[in-house]
Amino acid sequence: MKILHWIWILIGLGACALPGLLHPRPRVHAAESRVTWSRQIAPIVYRHCAACHHPGGAGPFSLLRYQDARRRAPQMLDVTQSRFMPPWLPAPGYGDFADSRRLSDEDVDLIKRWVESGAPEGNPAEAPAPPHYDATWQMGKPDLILSVERPFTLRASGTDVFRNFVLPYPLAQTHFIRAMEVLPSTPQIVHHANVLIDRTASFRHQHRTNWRDGVPGMELEVDSGNTFAPDSHFLFWKPDTPVLVEAPGMPWRLDPGNDLILNMHLKPSGKPEIISAKIGLYFAEEPATKHPMLLQLDADSELDIPPGDRNFVVQDELKLPVDVEVLGVYPHAHYLGRVLEGWAMLPNGEKKWLIRIPNWDIDRQSVYRYRAPVLLPRGTVLHMRYVYDNSDDNIHNPHDPPVRVRAGNQSTDEMAHLWLQVLPVHVPRDGPDPRLLLEQAWMQHRLERRPGDYIALYNLASASAALGRYAEAATLYRRLLSAHPNDARAMNSLGAALERAGDNQGAEQAFTQAIALSPDTCDAGYNLAALEVKSSRFADAEHQFRDLLLHCAADAGIRSGLGVALQGEGNAAAAREEFQRALDLDPENFTALYHLGELAIESGQPEQAVDLLQAAAKDRPDDLDTREHLAMAFAQSGRAADALSQLRDAIRLSPADASLHALLSQVLAGSGELQQAIEEQNQALHLQPNDPDGWNNLGVLEARTGKTAAARSDFEHALRLAPDHAQARANLAHLPPA
Amino acid sequence: MLLLLCWLVPAAWAAQPFGTDLKGRPVDNLAPSGSRAVVLFFAASDCPISNRYIPEIERLAREFSPEGVRFWWVYPNPEDTSQVVRSHDAQFDIHAEDVLDTDQLLTRMAHATITPEVAVFVPSSDGLREMYRGRIDNRYVSLGQERPSATRHDLEDAIRAVLANRPVAKPGGPAVGCSIVPRNLP
Repeated sequence: MKILHWIWILIGLGACALPGLLHPRPRVHAAESRVTWSRQIAPIVYRHCAACHHPGGAGPFSLLRYQDARRRAPQMLDVTQSRFMPPWLPAPGYGDFADSRRLSDEDVDLIKRWVESGAPEGNPAEAPAPPHYDATWQMGKPDLILSVERPFTLRASGTDVFRNFVLPYPLAQTHFIRAMEVLPSTPQIVHHANVLIDRTASFRHQHRTNWRDGVPGMELEVDSGNTFAPDSHFLFWKPDTPVLVEAPGMPWRLDPGNDLILNMHLKPSGKPEIISAKIGLYFAEEPATKHPMLLQLDADSELDIPPGDRNFVVQDELKLPVDVEVLGVYPHAHYLGRVLEGWAMLPNGEKKWLIRIPNWDIDRQSVYRYRAPVLLPRGTVLHMRYVYDNSDDNIHNPHDPPVRVRAGNQSTDEMAHLWLQVLPVHVPRDGPDPRLLLEQAWMQHRLERRPGDYIALYNLASASAALGRYAEAATLYRRLLSAHPNDARAMNSLGAALERAGDNQGAEQAFTQAIALSPDTCDAGYNLAALEVKSSRFADAEHQFRDLLLHCAADAGIRSGLGVALQGEGNAAAAREEFQRALDLDPENFTALYHLGELAIESGQPEQAVDLLQAAAKDRPDDLDTREHLAMAFAQSGRAADALSQLRDAIRLSPADASLHALLSQVLAGSGELQQAIEEQNQALHLQPNDPDGWNNLGVLEARTGKTAAARSDFEHALRLAPDHAQARANLAHLPPA
Repeated sequence: MLLLLCWLVPAAWAAQPFGTDLKGRPVDNLAPSGSRAVVLFFAASDCPISNRYIPEIERLAREFSPEGVRFWWVYPNPEDTSQVVRSHDAQFDIHAEDVLDTDQLLTRMAHATITPEVAVFVPSSDGLREMYRGRIDNRYVSLGQERPSATRHDLEDAIRAVLANRPVAKPGGPAVGCSIVPRNLP
């Protein structure tokens, strides 16, 4: 430094002596680079600050005009030097994030030079035009606007408030959401907001009396119901990103009966504020084609932080069972968190940083999305390591003096979560849903850490069942029931797993026990009745379904189940009535549509059957029985071409299904395509060689094409398999002598 | 840290009033008879941290006004005209004695640089003696560094000390908020 200083002086002296030759370069540089609002600062401010700092924006003041910026210049210097602004917690070099708000060192330096030189405006003509912000919806009018039921009044002062507002999804159709905007009504007091999807409206049911007023709490748990629909998207709102636009192919789903829960972090402003938030939803035209999943590393159970401890460390890790791309990351702790780190150890030993936050501040928490997806191959181990400071040096410490702190959902408790949004990639075509494998690995890991973890055990059992490992699922449900013997839901799930595993007796026992444990919930009763249908105990099933009708609200499933029982008992007229009632309740009820279609075929009304079965096939395009029946209905209505196309579609779905080939053979024969019919029948017999009817049918086709010898051999084959096969014997007798 | 004797200014400025009230009338006496202490609360209508302290100042005023502590809400920034302050008062439901520090005389007198910031004076025979100047409490440590709630109440402690004739402690940290805008800008 000293040497440089000397050189400076020498040049200065030289310049005095020889002004023409030794021009004082540093001075010229300084003159040229006089930093002005118009030339250098406005572009920085418009790019990095104006999204919040505009009139009506979330920032406390606007920075769009020179006068505004000059007024705030000393603060701008302070907060950019300390890097409090723009808000950006991740350390550079530890994950490459999209929308990084971090200012470059050069920009920070320009602001410093500008403020220290008196914050000059420069030539206003050089300034770029300020950005324009719309006070209403940024993307135009949303397709659906949900509003908080009752406005909430935030008190004027005190600690921050965390409150959960329930917004029921009011539509009767499923929609996929491509973008969401939250209008908080008073952006300046809303620090951030998380939107959760409550698939079963469980939170609303837990808070029947007060959900309309909003429920206090920083974190919440919701019940995702009986179908595997893992959380898939970060629905995180912060003031500088008012609209959340999802990647192409990745909209998120909202079903009838779902609730959105708006979890808001509110900051008292000095006067009572009324919050009346709205959520705007933009529908996608197509359903999702890519299915990401949120994975969580957590160390909540290790959080037991002694007062005064300024270096309390917790860790977690999770091994990936499939290849994934990490799309985003959301680290979360409360007020004691200090250093939050997440990284991945690849199978080749490479360490890949996912995020590092050296100075955690819950007030500035955010979801961070990667500029490009981070590919992590199967076998990668995800790591988190969080450090907590429970001393009184930590100014965020909510306790004075510090007290022992454990995990919990109040702001005075702690949390240790690292959420990752991952998209499974390189998925084998015929393999299981990779998200189930992720769920399984995650829950297994949780159980290793906490063998009594109820949710992990339940989810693991459910994942096993969904992967078709029913015996394993049953074992896990039994383990859960040994700790929670009165858990009706686990008992019902045990029954379902046993049924799928082929243990109908065990299943029936479990369903019966589940009904006894919780007579008011209808799942187990329904499953028991369905099992009785499956075992052809139609009278028992009818009784059980009628019982359910007394207990449960009008339900299309129960009505159509009763219809199936009645149909089984041979009471087609009563069955038809029940199916019709089911359709009155739910015009898309598959069981009712399918069975009414079947009854229509049986009663010789193929056109009606076509309508019903087409509606059923629309609901379940992969259901082979439906396609088979629809083909039959087409064939009976004289629409051979439609019948053929149905069957060919079905065979594409299930090429090894012998009965589909046999049916196709018959339809082909009916439309005179005998040679093709023979080929299909041969195909059917190749798949199912011990079918006497099939050999008989092949014989008939061979005989019709004049291949007497082949026909004879087919009929004889049928008779070897079933010596009493009257049709084959009669056909054989009809053949001309060899 | 004790502060025994500080800045001394006349209680009533003969030559010039301290500022004006919202109706444009001069405020020339900060400590009418019976005042045991004078608190100046430097505020800005558009400063969020200043606004967040409104309930706290109101609480202290409710508690200490009956004991002869006079609270003045001083608006030093040029943007805070009587119209702006009036509408801000209505918005925040403030019923206080406002002074527009039109010449930033009070700002200079108290050496205030930030809103919110406070100064406590004691009237004496030869003028107002400054006993305390700085932060209200320790909730804000710096911009972006905030406690969930305050654990040290510097202003309240200062007022209590003044009323009890005890020595007044210096603030435990700097005032945090928005810089006061100098009036002499072009």
